[in-house]
Amino acid sequence: MLQTSSLKAFHGPIEAVHGIDISVAEGQCVTLLGPNGAGKTSTLSAITGTVRATGTIRLGGEDISRLPVEDRCRRGIAISPEGRRVFANLSVRDNLIMGGALQPDKAQLNREIEDWFTHFPVLGERHAQPAGTLSGGEQQMLAIARALLSKPRILLLDEPSLGLAPMIVAKIFEIVRDLKARGTTILLVEQNASAAIRVSDYVYVLNNGLISSHGAAANFGDGSDLMGELTGVHV
Amino acid sequence: MRLPLNQDQRKGLVGAALLSVIVLAIVGTYALWGESYQARILYATFVNLLVVVGLQVFTGNANITGFSHAAFMGIAAYAAAICVTPAAMKLISLPDAPWGLNAFDLSPIVSAMIALAITGVLGLLTGLIVVRLSGVGVTIVSIAILVIVHSIFLHRTDIFKGNQALFGIPKVFGLPHITGLVIIAIFAARLFRESAIGLQLRACADDEAGARSMGVDVYRVRLIAWVLGTMFFATAGIAYAFFLGTISARPFYFNFVFLTVAMLILGGLRSVSGAVFGTLLISIGLEVVRWLETGPTLAGLKLPQMLGLSGLLLGVVIVAVMAFLPNGIMGNREIEDLFRRKTKGD
Repeated sequence: MLQTSSLKAFHGPIEAVHGIDISVAEGQCVTLLGPNGAGKTSTLSAITGTVRATGTIRLGGEDISRLPVEDRCRRGIAISPEGRRVFANLSVRDNLIMGGALQPDKAQLNREIEDWFTHFPVLGERHAQPAGTLSGGEQQMLAIARALLSKPRILLLDEPSLGLAPMIVAKIFEIVRDLKARGTTILLVEQNASAAIRVSDYVYVLNNGLISSHGAAANFGDGSDLMGELTGVHV
Repeated sequence: MRLPLNQDQRKGLVGAALLSVIVLAIVGTYALWGESYQARILYATFVNLLVVVGLQVFTGNANITGFSHAAFMGIAAYAAAICVTPAAMKLISLPDAPWGLNAFDLSPIVSAMIALAITGVLGLLTGLIVVRLSGVGVTIVSIAILVIVHSIFLHRTDIFKGNQALFGIPKVFGLPHITGLVIIAIFAARLFRESAIGLQLRACADDEAGARSMGVDVYRVRLIAWVLGTMFFATAGIAYAFFLGTISARPFYFNFVFLTVAMLILGGLRSVSGAVFGTLLISIGLEVVRWLETGPTLAGLKLPQMLGLSGLLLGVVIVAVMAFLPNGIMGNREIEDLFRRKTKGD
């Protein structure tokens, strides 16, 4: 579904990702693990097209690496950004309408939004509230639902557990597992190694802008060794 | 198939209708108890209202402050005035006009159309540059547009008469016309805000990169709003010229820009209701201040003359609102939200 080859990402003159190859097959959940500053978010930004990048990115065989951001969305890439970044001044419903901005059939979009409200009742109760007034966990649910309303072929999830309480983190990973069970192709970026490994099929470990190891999720055990390796803190 | 209006758009129609009722109530109050000199004040307030509602379209939804609206208003006012003024009159008022500008005259409707078209084309050309700039860039370029247009008005005296008045414009508009235009403008601005493009524009204001990653063509939606905004300013300029009968370059400059921006900021630039309330509040406030400036006797106390108080207070309003109410009186709310029962978590 999605392949990158020798992908480099830049912030101004600084090269943050030094040429990585990753591949996500249809229906898979693939995780990019790594400590702060490893280049995880930069990799996702290179895929969505919001930072300058070299190398090739293929989506379903088509080279999308020269396309502007908007066209990559039209081709089927959706992102739930780091720190959630919902449209704080827009209502919950308007945030979801934005997610489906490219869908021509507005009646159908409306039905899908109502479906999400049944799926996440807490969003339904607050549909008229500005999204900025939601709690972190609610904003994360909103960001995921919003991304999925564009009917993407692949969903990029950037640290969905960031800054959330452990109970909410568990709930978010339950949502990710549920999406995968429904056949969604997911590229997940995480620091929470053990939780991420449990929902993933395949894992890439990113360190200082390079892939230091990769393999089927089962090879990484419960992820506790990996966390120690990544952070230098062994418990 | 015609798409039904969504929830927000139906709410928008209700809100615009409520605002129109307020406008009509003001006109009704004037018709019953007003003095004739107040017609002029009311007309001026409604011209300002057209401009501030027009400002909301781009500045409010995109959250990018532009200062060129007085220039577009002036261009339309002059274009309409030059087209509509009888040729015989123009031979006196514009004896040296080039390109035969003083040799024809057109009906008010055709003149207004020409003024709208000229302003629209200039809006499109400037918009192509403006929408590609960042927030501060837009502000600076829009000030440049204002200064350029103003100096053309001042120095091409053969066409615009500079600081002197261009006189003899037929007075074809009255209070009913401007009232109708204001109500149309309120509905147009509100429906634009709730339209798909208006929503995309507001999303870009919150998170431009995020909106782009959802497929929004940022430049396109900004350009549409910018050009639509100039149409409001042009309408205001035409209404101004058609009522007063004489125009000069002076009103289409910084003082007016400052006044209208203050109105928008006070009311809250994110909402059309805010634009309307801000305009009405500052207009009423300025009338009170003008009365105070003359040094009236209050409860037996003779107050001193305080010339310049209005300018001072306008500055104070902007600073105070910025400090204490950064989102203005209305914030994200529209008028119909004020009537909604408070629900949990609101």
